[in-house]
Amino acid sequence: MSSFTATQEATLRAVVDRIIPPDDHPGGWEAGVGNYLTRQFAGDLAPLFGDYANFLAAIDAIARRLHGAPFAALPTATQDALLVQIESDAHGDDLARFFAVLVTHAMEGYYGDPGNGGNRDAVAWRMIGFEVRG
Amino acid sequence: MSAARYDAIVVGAGAGGGVTAAILAEAGKRVLLLERGQDLTFTAIGRDHLRNQRLSQYGNNAGPDLDGHPRVAVDADGRERLVRPHEGGYQNNAAIVGGGTRVYGAQAWRFLPDDFRMATVYGVPTGSSLADWPLDYAELASHYERAEWELGVAGDGAASADLLPRERDYPMPPLPPTAQSRVLRRGADALGWATTPVPLLINSEPRDGRAACIRCQHCVGFACPVEAKNGTHNTLIPRALATGNCDLVTGATAARVATDRVGRAIGVDYFDRDETPQEVRAEVVILAAGAVETARLLLNSATTREPTGLGNGGDQVGRHLQGHAYTGVNARFAEPIYDGLGPGVSIATLRFNHGNDGIIGGGMLADEFILLPIIFQKRYLPPNLPRWGAVNKAFMREAYRYVTDVKGPTQEIPHPDGRVTLDPTVRDRWGLPVARFSGATHPETVRTATFLQDRAREWLDAAGAIQTWSTPPRPRLAAGQHQAGTCRMGDDPRTSVVDRWCRVHGHDNLFIADGSPHVTNGGVNPVLTILALAYRTAEGILRAW
Ligand SMILES: Cc1cc2nc3c(=O)[nH]c(=O)nc-3n(C[C@H](O)[C@H](O)[C@H](O)COP(=O)(O)OP(=O)(O)OC[C@H]3O[C@@H](n4cnc5c(N)ncnc54)[C@H](O)[C@@H]3O)c2cc1C
Repeated sequence: MSSFTATQEATLRAVVDRIIPPDDHPGGWEAGVGNYLTRQFAGDLAPLFGDYANFLAAIDAIARRLHGAPFAALPTATQDALLVQIESDAHGDDLARFFAVLVTHAMEGYYGDPGNGGNRDAVAWRMIGFEVRG
Repeated sequence: MSAARYDAIVVGAGAGGGVTAAILAEAGKRVLLLERGQDLTFTAIGRDHLRNQRLSQYGNNAGPDLDGHPRVAVDADGRERLVRPHEGGYQNNAAIVGGGTRVYGAQAWRFLPDDFRMATVYGVPTGSSLADWPLDYAELASHYERAEWELGVAGDGAASADLLPRERDYPMPPLPPTAQSRVLRRGADALGWATTPVPLLINSEPRDGRAACIRCQHCVGFACPVEAKNGTHNTLIPRALATGNCDLVTGATAARVATDRVGRAIGVDYFDRDETPQEVRAEVVILAAGAVETARLLLNSATTREPTGLGNGGDQVGRHLQGHAYTGVNARFAEPIYDGLGPGVSIATLRFNHGNDGIIGGGMLADEFILLPIIFQKRYLPPNLPRWGAVNKAFMREAYRYVTDVKGPTQEIPHPDGRVTLDPTVRDRWGLPVARFSGATHPETVRTATFLQDRAREWLDAAGAIQTWSTPPRPRLAAGQHQAGTCRMGDDPRTSVVDRWCRVHGHDNLFIADGSPHVTNGGVNPVLTILALAYRTAEGILRAW
């Protein structure tokens, strides 16, 4: 499998943590969404790896153009605002569509079973009150 | 080399096939039971929340394999899509020993008496193929009872005795109520609606050498960790094998029914697990491959005598494909309604299955199975909730234990063009033409579904919901887990495929024992009817032998 550049990785991490932000409970990255994605890129999501890289590069470029800094370095409120713009099509259809896909994957990593590499120690399940008994 | 010989070959070790194999084997017949899937253990089926028969995001846990078994789905605008087993539009049920019963939700409903005479009760809506069954509830009642007792159903017969007359109660009491069902019970009481515990093919007490349900959270779409869920894999198929008269061959995919020059079935040609073609011969052939694959088998078995497929002289094979429009309403409550006690589905009303003013048919409404968190995130968010971010996360945290839905299987009004045909170009791994879906349910189904959705909302409101949301029903082709209807039963070969004994018209020794013969599919989950009908068919085969 190919891997992301350091900047892409930092952008991914920042985006995942805006999709599922840390609060009293772990954010997406801490809970293992990155790990979930790494595993999926070696399997079901392998065909999407290139799209991921392009998306991450694209939103980083937008961040630099509009705010003069890499996406990952922006304040979280600015990151949120930028992602809202992307979601609402302000930067084109393709980015909006791909962001929705990324959201889906991040949620799978966070709320799916730990066996898929995310939801470390079932933190997401404990947060919402889903207990596996039996 | 001469082909292996049996008295009977049963294709498909699912619900109907499991029953048929057991009844014939116990009567001393030498039976070959062919199953394309494997006999998977609990561990092999696993608990992958993204790859199971409830959420097949990237795969499934009960077959078929993702590669080599494509189908083609044609949408309303005529656009064709090649679909794999885990993708939308594939209409998957399962491919495994036990078929759907290995991982099902185990709701064990009898059809209601009026479900067998829909045309008589409601007339035939223009463009639909609504029709009566050639048999009635009374004729099936003893077979329902047999299924309930031999597989094992937990329920309370008295609670629905006015609508579903029965001679004998279920063999086990219902599972104790859940927090969710107590809240809904309150709502139904306020409305004056009668409810019933949902009858389940699940042991509420130890039975048959197997444990009672441990109320785990992974019931529907998964295998049971203690084998308290009763399917054919742990009841009838072991019974069949215990006779010594039945050979179960897994990884065996039937390719065609072999017939002789006068059209009599002489056996089945199949591919074994090493993909080697095999021919087996028998006096009787019974197809129980599920409504999609059984139709496909008949079509793929065309001969010069029957160039459009076996039993297809009336151009009926594959038509009237139906499942259930599943409509419901999601609701949030002020109090927690989740207590984590599986399987979750627990209370239902049959009040709206029939007798709804100006509506054709109706359907049962029930509460929900335990929702896997990722399913909750994908399918249960209110429409205006942000799809990501702090608010989304807070909702998950604050609402998961406060949200449920009431929904149910709307009785579909069949359309002759909702159908399975053979795709002219796409082949499976063995080079056989694959199933191609086209058409949709009749528009009346949508009207009925909309009516039921309103009743679901009424129920939830009366139970104290603080917020409800839903998506409006749309006309679709519903087959999937509740697939039925593709080889409809009837007396007239021009309008049906099998007779009232599920014998293919014009073929003395060829029978169907799955959901395909259902003329209509009821307003409840179908498996108990498939099981009951298979008992009746097997008994009929033996009587005529
Ligand atoms: C997750 C889930 C939940 C469900 N919950 C409920 C519920 O609560 N209540 C209810 O009533 N129903 C439920 N169902 C549906 C129920 O399982 C089906 O109605 C039932 O299994 C259908 O029975 P059948 O005999 O028609 O076919 P199946 O049980 O599907 O059996 C057909 C078998 O034939 C095999 N086969 C197909 N083609 C071939 C071939 N060419 N050669 C050899 N073998 C072949 C298949 O692999 C399969 O094992 C559920 C299903 C699923 C998957």
